[in-house]
Amino acid sequence: MSKNKVSRRQFLSYTLTGVGGFMAAGMLMPMVRFAVDPVLQPKASSDFIPTQQKVADITDVPTRVDFKFEQQDAWYTSEETGTAWVYKDDKGEIVALSPVCKHLGCVVDWNSDKANQNHFYCPCHGGLYTKDGTNVPGTPPFAPLDVYPYIEKDGYLHLGKAEPKKGA
Amino acid sequence: MKWVSQDIEMYLKSKEYVDTIVLPLLPVSLGNDVKQSVAMSEFISLLSIQLERQFRGRLIMLPGFSYLKGNSEDKLVSDLKEWEKELYAKDFTHVFYLTSDSFWKAVENKLDGGLIWLPSLPLEHMDENYRTSILEDQVKQLLSLFLQKWQSAE
Ligand code: FES
Repeated sequence: MSKNKVSRRQFLSYTLTGVGGFMAAGMLMPMVRFAVDPVLQPKASSDFIPTQQKVADITDVPTRVDFKFEQQDAWYTSEETGTAWVYKDDKGEIVALSPVCKHLGCVVDWNSDKANQNHFYCPCHGGLYTKDGTNVPGTPPFAPLDVYPYIEKDGYLHLGKAEPKKGA
Repeated sequence: MKWVSQDIEMYLKSKEYVDTIVLPLLPVSLGNDVKQSVAMSEFISLLSIQLERQFRGRLIMLPGFSYLKGNSEDKLVSDLKEWEKELYAKDFTHVFYLTSDSFWKAVENKLDGGLIWLPSLPLEHMDENYRTSILEDQVKQLLSLFLQKWQSAE
C-alpha cells in the first residue's frame, strides 16, 4: 500500500475536522469581535471638528476657541468640550495649540501670569511656554504644547486631533 | 487626577508635585428633601469634573464622601474628621471639601481642611446653553479660589 493513500476513515476524519473547525470559527469569530471591537474601533482621528471661529477673525493674539466633539470611550459615547489657543503668527499662518500642559496635564492660560507677559502659563507648577508653544527651560514642562492640525471650511476653522509639535 | 488607576499611577510617579486633595461632600436623603439632596450632589459632581480637568496635575479628586442627611451633626463631623486625619497624615498640604450642603457651613470652624461651599443651582430647569455658561462661571470662581489659596500658602 502506498503511503499517501488516504483510507476512508482518514478521509472522513479530515473532512469532519475541517468542517467542524470551520463551524467553530464561524461561531467564535463574532464572539471575539464583539468582545474586542469597541476597543479596536478607530477613533475617527482624521476627522476635523468644526468650531465657531471664523478664520477671518483670527488675530495675532492667542484666543480661546472651544469646540464640542463626541468621544468614544470604549463602551459609550459622550460629548466633550475641547479647547484650543488660536492665533496667526508673523507669517500670517494659523497656529492652534492644545491647552494641556505637557508636565502633568493642567490647563494653561495665555498671559495670565503678570511676571511673564506674552507666555502661556500653567498655574499648577509654574510651567511656561512661549507664544509658539515652546516650553521655557527651567520650568517643569519637558516638551512644547501639542499642535492641532486644522483646515478651513466655509470660512470657519476646523480642528483635527492635537499632535506633538513637529521637530521637537 | 481622578480616582482611576491610570491617574494614580501618574500620581505615584510625581508625588512631589501633588500637594492638594479634594473631597466632594455629597448629601443623600430619600425623604422629603430627596430632590434637593440630588440637586446638590449633581451640581457638585459636575463642578468637580471641571475642577479636576483644569488642575489635574496638582490635585487628586477623590470619589465623593456621601453621607445620610439624617445623621446627627456629631456623627457627620466626627466621620469627616477621620478622613481629614488620614489625608493630612498622607502629606497633602491642602485638603479641600467641595459641597452645596449648607450644613457644613455651620460647622466649618470644626474642620481643618478648607471648606468650599457653593449654593447649588436649579440646573434641571435651564436650557443647555445657559446651563453651560452658568457652570463655566461657577468653575471660574472656583478656579480663582484655588489659585488664591495656593498663592497665599506660598
Ligand atoms: S502641570 Fe503644568 S507645570 Fe506642572
